[in-house]
Amino acid sequence: MTRQVEFPLPTTSVGSFPKPDYLISARNRYARGQISKSELDELSKRATAEWISFQESIGMDLLVDGEMYRGDMVAYFAENLEGMTLSGLIRSYGNRYYKKPIAIGPIRRTKPITVEWWSYAQSLTDRPVKGMLTGPYTMCDWSFDDYYGNRRDFVLALAEVIAREARDLEAAGAEYIQIDEPAVSTRLDELDLVIEAMGIVTSGLKAHTITHMCYGRFEEVYPKILELPVDQIDLEMANSGLDLLEKFKEYPFTKYIGFGVIDVHSHRIETVEEVKARIKTALKYIDTDKIFVDPDCGLKTRTVAEAKAKLQVMQIARNQVRDEILALKTS
Amino acid sequence: MIATVVSHYPKIGDHPGEQKLRQAIAKFEMGEIDYQALVDVEREVTKQAIREMEEAGIELVTDGQIRWQDPVTYICSKLNGFEINGLVRWFDSNTYFRQPVAVGDVAWVEPILVEDYIYARSVATVDVKPVVTGPYTLGVLSIDRYYNDLDKLVLALAAALNAELKELCKQKPPIIQIDEPGIAFNPSVRYPRDARLFLQALELLTKDIDCDLSLYIYHGSASDILQTEQLPVKILGLDMVHGASNWQLLENWPDGLGLGLGIVDARNVKMENVEHLATTIKQAKELIRSDEVHVSPSCGLEFLPKDVALSKLRLLAESVREARE
Repeated sequence: MTRQVEFPLPTTSVGSFPKPDYLISARNRYARGQISKSELDELSKRATAEWISFQESIGMDLLVDGEMYRGDMVAYFAENLEGMTLSGLIRSYGNRYYKKPIAIGPIRRTKPITVEWWSYAQSLTDRPVKGMLTGPYTMCDWSFDDYYGNRRDFVLALAEVIAREARDLEAAGAEYIQIDEPAVSTRLDELDLVIEAMGIVTSGLKAHTITHMCYGRFEEVYPKILELPVDQIDLEMANSGLDLLEKFKEYPFTKYIGFGVIDVHSHRIETVEEVKARIKTALKYIDTDKIFVDPDCGLKTRTVAEAKAKLQVMQIARNQVRDEILALKTS
Repeated sequence: MIATVVSHYPKIGDHPGEQKLRQAIAKFEMGEIDYQALVDVEREVTKQAIREMEEAGIELVTDGQIRWQDPVTYICSKLNGFEINGLVRWFDSNTYFRQPVAVGDVAWVEPILVEDYIYARSVATVDVKPVVTGPYTLGVLSIDRYYNDLDKLVLALAAALNAELKELCKQKPPIIQIDEPGIAFNPSVRYPRDARLFLQALELLTKDIDCDLSLYIYHGSASDILQTEQLPVKILGLDMVHGASNWQLLENWPDGLGLGLGIVDARNVKMENVEHLATTIKQAKELIRSDEVHVSPSCGLEFLPKDVALSKLRLLAESVREARE
């Protein structure tokens, strides 16, 4: 069965959604050894089903599982790979701490990591659900290295295991696979390595491939990022991006774009008019049939209520703009 | 030659009893304890951090910057003229700082670090150095909505921090350290690197300061931009791990300038080898033809889990002992 989205302006999400309170408290109980893994998994499934049902109910096109079963986007994969472990606590800012992955030996994938969760989410809906992976470059950049000794070997080893995961997702039926690389914008001198590693991951895939980046000054890496071997690049455009759009006039954007129209860092819910204006900006610079509408980034730092309200506004704005486009076509 | 540290030290560890500060901050934010109770915990943790550095063999310590949210906010929030904005990535690391916004005349109001310094010295058995984030770094990492001119902002910061250095000087510290990672070349560099402005700010910052000073530049190399003979400091500290080309600076080292040799990687958990470190220290010492060498990690230690940071300090002290023989 093929599940494809319809243009113009299909809506999607970048990946993560906030976890409901019952799941947050269950994860804490699990960490303290008070509940079993299967009890935690049941609640993660319940939360996944709730998010799938919400996305369907408001009419979104390309769904995500919301990553209810993942903590950190890098640590989750590191915990499930041979050759990686987690460090002690490190402060990221303020009073926030995290455990940073460490490469301690040759990195190998002993079993599929996300396929079962993807299959579960896809079983709940007829709409396509994206397979969600963290890219090899970001995995390396956000980890310590106590084994490889140089970044290139570390990144390419990760690329091999992420490639296997992508193939297994495709074999399970995923038609859209996203490989997130938020660290791309940190070190501009390593863009060639990012492109090479992404090539290993996406080579031979028939699925529509997407990469997401954030917090970048894309005007500095554009048009070079068009060399990334993916079908779609997902960019945060709600906060900035006008400089970048001007560059599209000089170097046309040749891929599908995930056009971010929702600010995920702000508690404020955008108005429908604001979001419509952002979508219409996209239409000025990019082919109508190449645009996916989505939030700037994962919504996991918002509350459940905020995330839902923001997605709803996005969907209403998209519906109104799409109606205008379709009316023009038929008139 | 001595073993020292650069700036911060991990605030919490993974073992029971090592999370007091994290818990106290959470309680303070929930309104469950008052400010004085938080300060008491900050002091207790500072005392413990100093003791651990000393026991590892460090001969010149800092206060671990236990009270600092980040290297930028702790200073800028106590100066006039700044608001504090959202999170921004700290260089090419996976940690963040809150970005200051200049919204008015930048000015020094009252001592920022003096009380912390007096406390740290009172609980230490070895020498303690106060550390000030430099005006150039604070300037290039800020948003400027007031001067609309980087030169003016950086020089205003230099004048403000000159007042702070004068206050610190009154405490007669063995040396005052100025941290300027902002002038290093780093793979994430996106701000102006301006040697002329950097030196002008340094002159203004150190004007009429009657105290030994050190300048630390880390997270990258400064060899392409720095003229070592022009610096108004006693010691120049360099990051030899993430700025390997800094070795070039050692080839033409001016007489009378001491070296801060950052050779233990404070950004990765991989353990160095003592023999190799000792050899490196001896090589550096021969190149600069001076014994004024302060051997240290490549930068502050908060990028590492605490047990790893401590192991690296022990290794560093052992290497210094071996290099002395």
